[in-house]
Amino acid sequence: MADRRDGPGSGDNEIEIKRLSKVFGQGDAAFRALDDVSLGIRRGEFFTLLGPSGCGKTTLLRLIAGFEQPSAGEVIINGRQVAGLGPNARPVNTVFQNYALFPHMTVADNIGFGLRMLGKPAAEIRETTERMLALVRMEAMAARKPSEISGGQQQRVALARALAPQPRVLLLDEPLSALDLKLRKEMQSELKRLQNETGITFVFVTHDQHEALTMSDRIAVMSGGRILQSGRPTEIYNHPAERFVADFIGDTNFLDVELVAVNGATAEVRLPGGGTRRATLPEGLAPDPGSHVTIVIRPEHASVTEEAADFEGTVEDAVFFGTDTHLNLRLSDAARFTLRRQNTGAGDGAMPEGSRVGVRVADGGIQVLRN
Amino acid sequence: MAVTQHIDTTGAQAGADMAALTAERESHGWKWLLSLPALTILVFAASGPLLIVLIYSVLTPAEYGGVVWELSGRAWFQVFFRRDIFDPDEVTLNWSHLSVLWRSVSLAFQTTVICAILGFPTAWFISTRPPGQREIWLLLITIPFWTNLVIRTFAIQEVIRNQGVINSLLMNLNIIHSPIQMMYTDFAILVGMAYVFLPLMVLPVFAAMDKLDTRLLEAGYDLYASRWEVLRRIVFPLVRPGFIAGSILVFIPSIGSYVTPRLLGGGRNMMLSNLIELQFGQGRNWPLGAALALTLLVIVLVALVFYLRTIGGDEDKQHG
Amino acid sequence: MARARRNFSITALPGFASIAVLTFVLLYVPIATLVVFSFNEAASMSRWQGFSLQWYQAAFENRQVRDVSIRALGLAVTASAIATFAATLAALATTRTAKFPGQTMIYALVNQPLMVPEVVTGTALLIFFAGIKVSTGYTGMGYLVAAHSAFCIPFAYLPIRARLQTMDLTLERAAADLYANHFQTFRYVTLPLLLPGVLAGFMLGFVISLDTVVITEFVKSAGQDTLATYMLGQIRRTVTPEMNAIATLFLLLSAVVVVLFFIVSRKRP
Repeated sequence: MADRRDGPGSGDNEIEIKRLSKVFGQGDAAFRALDDVSLGIRRGEFFTLLGPSGCGKTTLLRLIAGFEQPSAGEVIINGRQVAGLGPNARPVNTVFQNYALFPHMTVADNIGFGLRMLGKPAAEIRETTERMLALVRMEAMAARKPSEISGGQQQRVALARALAPQPRVLLLDEPLSALDLKLRKEMQSELKRLQNETGITFVFVTHDQHEALTMSDRIAVMSGGRILQSGRPTEIYNHPAERFVADFIGDTNFLDVELVAVNGATAEVRLPGGGTRRATLPEGLAPDPGSHVTIVIRPEHASVTEEAADFEGTVEDAVFFGTDTHLNLRLSDAARFTLRRQNTGAGDGAMPEGSRVGVRVADGGIQVLRN
Repeated sequence: MAVTQHIDTTGAQAGADMAALTAERESHGWKWLLSLPALTILVFAASGPLLIVLIYSVLTPAEYGGVVWELSGRAWFQVFFRRDIFDPDEVTLNWSHLSVLWRSVSLAFQTTVICAILGFPTAWFISTRPPGQREIWLLLITIPFWTNLVIRTFAIQEVIRNQGVINSLLMNLNIIHSPIQMMYTDFAILVGMAYVFLPLMVLPVFAAMDKLDTRLLEAGYDLYASRWEVLRRIVFPLVRPGFIAGSILVFIPSIGSYVTPRLLGGGRNMMLSNLIELQFGQGRNWPLGAALALTLLVIVLVALVFYLRTIGGDEDKQHG
Repeated sequence: MARARRNFSITALPGFASIAVLTFVLLYVPIATLVVFSFNEAASMSRWQGFSLQWYQAAFENRQVRDVSIRALGLAVTASAIATFAATLAALATTRTAKFPGQTMIYALVNQPLMVPEVVTGTALLIFFAGIKVSTGYTGMGYLVAAHSAFCIPFAYLPIRARLQTMDLTLERAAADLYANHFQTFRYVTLPLLLPGVLAGFMLGFVISLDTVVITEFVKSAGQDTLATYMLGQIRRTVTPEMNAIATLFLLLSAVVVVLFFIVSRKRP
């Protein structure tokens, strides 16, 4: 094994993924689950891999954990190349989607398992197990078997078990997907609390955009075995660089427009009403003026206006959502546009069908897509 | 797999909704009626005659086989003890019977151990093949099992006899100059029984491993367990029921083995079954044969009770 | 780029694959030897002299072999058919129905031949049938048919019951909902769905009957040797490759039945 130590000098990254690929099967049946992915995950952050099922997020997590071995590329954890090593030689622990608690052991034995395997003294194991039980508020269940506790409790035990050996990194594979909505909300804040208290780097896999947005320090959006975009939740949400990212996260209006001028990181685009507005360009993209691009406008970044409208539309219908109402408009060129009105007053925010309304987009609310 | 299923006598029956559908408006008479043909055959040609064995074991042997209808405890006495021919008051242990009994138990136990050593890794190997291949490996285990016992024992005999494959090979290679006598030894019986009953270990162990969630192995390795620790603390405890079932399935036919000791053990290295048969043939002592048969049955029942209690204990442990 | 490092695999355990391969080799070397030497030109069963079918010819021309083979096959078909019929009815009565008093006893009786060593059953039948033979004077094949049928019932019962358990009750409800009476429901819905299980049960019973040596040895009257007991007697005397030829043919038969059994009892996709 090539023991390449990048050393602590390689920056603040806890995990470094370099040109990682994973192919399952051979020949015609070969499936490229992960395609040349590079990524850095910083020490102590809550990092989320977000994408639909089959996008490669779980494969990436399993490669970091050591359950699968890469077809090509490197996995570096804390400056140490670990590709090829087993999970028992990596300073990471996993919370499994189905929890994978050992059915023949008690809750306490499950939690103490990692420490026992590390050969810690019995007193330390007992002390840490008790601390972990307290941390996830499961003291009363220590002597039970996994089959005798609820799904939410199993989830907590799985967390405690993975945290007990004090790993550098905790990997979480859709840990909340089996819980009902109320429990899921509870566990989301519980997870955040645990991460703050322990200071451990969390790598979290989910297909749930809300989960990703509310919990993460940074998100990587994946599709087709690639990372399409990574960044802070606000960046990903407000400035999606790719159509898939914009579409997968939140509601979105796509409009095809002409690019009038490029100005460093921003550009002037011509909206359907004929006027031009400033739009943000994705990083590293410098299209030619005069070319056609797709822009993204979030429904809540547009509002109904009496004057200085960017463009006009005809109301097709209005859908009441409680806190807000969606107005579905048809624009002059047959494109559709949805805008969201916050219901501040007592009304329902609806407009009569067929009426024409002016639409004004908030400053900074227009994002140009790559491609 | 047929062999493993009969252990599962508690298998789910009585779908709750079917119960609701039939309970109130039907009596159970039709079920007995439908079961009647099977029960008749079984009582007539399997279970009923067992009672007759019990009766025969306490009767007096007739001179040319058969019995005289006269109560006697002699047969049971003879299973374990003998009287001196010249001095009827001198009672000693019947070593010729006890040695056969001991050989049966010992060889059956050794067979079980050999089958476990070979069968456990084999079942693991099969259960870790890709799904398409798994069926083929299983079929390869199953085919010899459904092949006639006499044929398989004959095949083993061809390998280990003095002019057999092993001896010819060793002699052609000049490793040995005269054949190694393997036939008609306890070793031959052991090899034969392990060969014949191995699939009975592999199949239930495989069934248990097949149910094992590989994520539990991942969790084990994730928590720093070595290969040995994963085997000892995760795989073995979880496939234990299948392993015990396999051990029982090997032990029972081994201890009752008849064909293998008869062909490979020769006349001297008898097992219990051969001793029983002898009483109905040359021995002409039917009550003794019956008593010996019941002795064998008791050993098997003890093994079964042990099995049921262990499995019951395992279930208690799983559910507290 | 070639990788020098050994990759960690979750399911690998040290030495297990080697032992497994060894097991398969040990399992098949004796069988392969037996088959190979059935084609040997010489009478030797350890030295290969050249390919010949003469032992097969000898086997076919051996009147005794023909007799015992036909008897064994006839017995297997008859006993297995009876066992399958009885087991199907019993399975219908005891599977997917409300628990009823005595059900456990039926299970115990059905499974009893699996638990009791063959030699014990053989002894019991020897004593019991000897009594009947003396009092009725009948010494025909009926005893063997009865003994084999009883022994085959648990084996026939297993796949039929397994099949019934996986069958969807709603199909029969749907039939009843569409005005089918009990018999029509059974005839047009239950039975066709159950058929693979019944077939599998029959095949298992067939193979088991062919394999049953000890019970046959204890129950048979003079001149009622089956192939298994004939071979058992012959092997102890002089053995020529004729025996290999007979064994090979029956091996082939078993293998075909087992493969068919696998195909029939495989779950529908």
